[in-house]
Amino acid sequence: MAEQDFSLNLDDLRPRPAEKKRFSEYFMPRRHSFIIFHPDRCTGCGACEMICSTRNTEKVAPVSASVKVVRDEKEGKNFSILCQHCRKPLCLPACPTRAIEKGDDGIVRIDKLFCTECGLCTMACPAAAPIKDPGSQEIHKCDLCEGDPLCVKQCPENALTFTRGKAVRWIKGLRWTSQLMSFLLLVMVFIGTFCYFRTGNVNFACPTGTLQNIASSGTIVLVGVSSALALLILTVLAGRLFCGWVCPFGFVLDVVDKITPKKIGWPSFLKSRMTKYGVLAGAVGGSYALGFQVFCTVCPIGTLCRAYGVQSFFRSAELAIVPALASLEIGERRSWCRYFCPVGAVLGLTALLRMIKIVIGAKRCKKFSCIQCAEVCPVGIIDADKLREGLSPKIPMTECIMCMRCIDRCPYDAAKIRFRWQKATPGEVRI
Amino acid sequence: MKNRKDKIAEAKRASGADSCVECGRCVAACPMAEMYENFSIEMSPRGIIKKTLVGDPVVEDRNIWYCTECNAGTDTCPQGVSCRDLIRKLREAAVDENILGNAKTCKCCGRAFVAIPVEDFVFARLKDEPPNVFGVLDICPPCRREIYLLRNA
Repeated sequence: MAEQDFSLNLDDLRPRPAEKKRFSEYFMPRRHSFIIFHPDRCTGCGACEMICSTRNTEKVAPVSASVKVVRDEKEGKNFSILCQHCRKPLCLPACPTRAIEKGDDGIVRIDKLFCTECGLCTMACPAAAPIKDPGSQEIHKCDLCEGDPLCVKQCPENALTFTRGKAVRWIKGLRWTSQLMSFLLLVMVFIGTFCYFRTGNVNFACPTGTLQNIASSGTIVLVGVSSALALLILTVLAGRLFCGWVCPFGFVLDVVDKITPKKIGWPSFLKSRMTKYGVLAGAVGGSYALGFQVFCTVCPIGTLCRAYGVQSFFRSAELAIVPALASLEIGERRSWCRYFCPVGAVLGLTALLRMIKIVIGAKRCKKFSCIQCAEVCPVGIIDADKLREGLSPKIPMTECIMCMRCIDRCPYDAAKIRFRWQKATPGEVRI
Repeated sequence: MKNRKDKIAEAKRASGADSCVECGRCVAACPMAEMYENFSIEMSPRGIIKKTLVGDPVVEDRNIWYCTECNAGTDTCPQGVSCRDLIRKLREAAVDENILGNAKTCKCCGRAFVAIPVEDFVFARLKDEPPNVFGVLDICPPCRREIYLLRNA
């Protein structure tokens, strides 16, 4: 007879609630309330601690508060450490008695009935936000006063604000509109416009195509170069705005990405962002050797732009490159743009002269508790590991396609566009 | 400098261990039963109290380092024995005698802040998280808050 296990575990007594996703969440993420702390306004007076402690005990005793004001007298810096109600709280799995639960409203609560005040949640929290009361030995943690925080009302300098985040993510709508409009314009209205477009004295040309043209023909046509400069100047002024907002193939990729939300990932040897510069060099060199624009015949942007309307069989066969490259989307988002696109490579090289940058962590970033920017980034250049460590990631603007999804998504307004010469993040403090 | 005997006597007095009736309520409430596979009389609060009272060598015993210093046993004891205080005093005695192998010291301030078996448990529970999280968790909570201040303010 097989030996039976009669022991009861916590899972049998109090099973964890299954993670449910509401139907509406597939279209619109839930907006939870949260407290934003502004370090530059805080004077370190400790009013938040005092009012918070009256909720935990009968008296005013800052040590038994759920918020801790840390002061650096030398630098004159103050910071009040609050529970940030992480999206994936580390304290939750660490609790041995399973007293911590994340509610439907996004508030992480400690159930006093089950809490044994062991302090393991403080051990697991990267900001050490749950605080052990030295008197009563209880653990105090912010529960946002169940949606009406006292500390926010009491702060004399308005360093704490209570918000629900953005209601409308307008950049998203603007970008999709821009992408759709440019797709229709470039592909259907002005056929073949991306590669070369001319009305009167106005010329626009694809910079990669122009490079190949120069290589294949061996002659530099000033009109061609100057028309190619238009896109490069846009890139210098505003980063690779073209890739995120205009590129018709990028639009196709974004649509395909919406259809295939599950990603299988690529092996690491494929994932070199330098590959696209290699493709560019190969395209230019090949054009020089063979005497025609090698890459332009298979360029997905070009084939899309040239394909519409009544075409020969050969032209239509060219179009097969579009679904072939769009299928790369099943591995990673914008795989083609990340690793292979030579148009992006030219723009990336131009972006070395950029005037603007995107910064994340302008003091207000909640780092490990959120990490939504790294999730939404289509080219995956936001370092989630840095954010988890509590550092501001540096964004390589040569890779950034300026889709501004991070800026749109950040509930704390920590992701921003800044000029290149502006100092926007506090100095990196290593342990 | 007090010797070990005095320290243990002090621990017994501070925690009221002499009045233990070995009812076992602290063992029933102890979260260590959920935390460790090898939970036994060797590391249970009742076992530690008994060892202390009988006079076994507890200070160099690894079993005193499994406790999380929670309030569960202290709250539930009918005799008012505080197993938390007893463990704390025994650990203090061990640290005083430089038996440091079981205590984790902070990378920044060098203070012993958590017992290694307890931290192992936390890390085992967080094993699905990316490994660089643990670099932050190596630091004691007050230092963590200081670093948080320096990085963000």
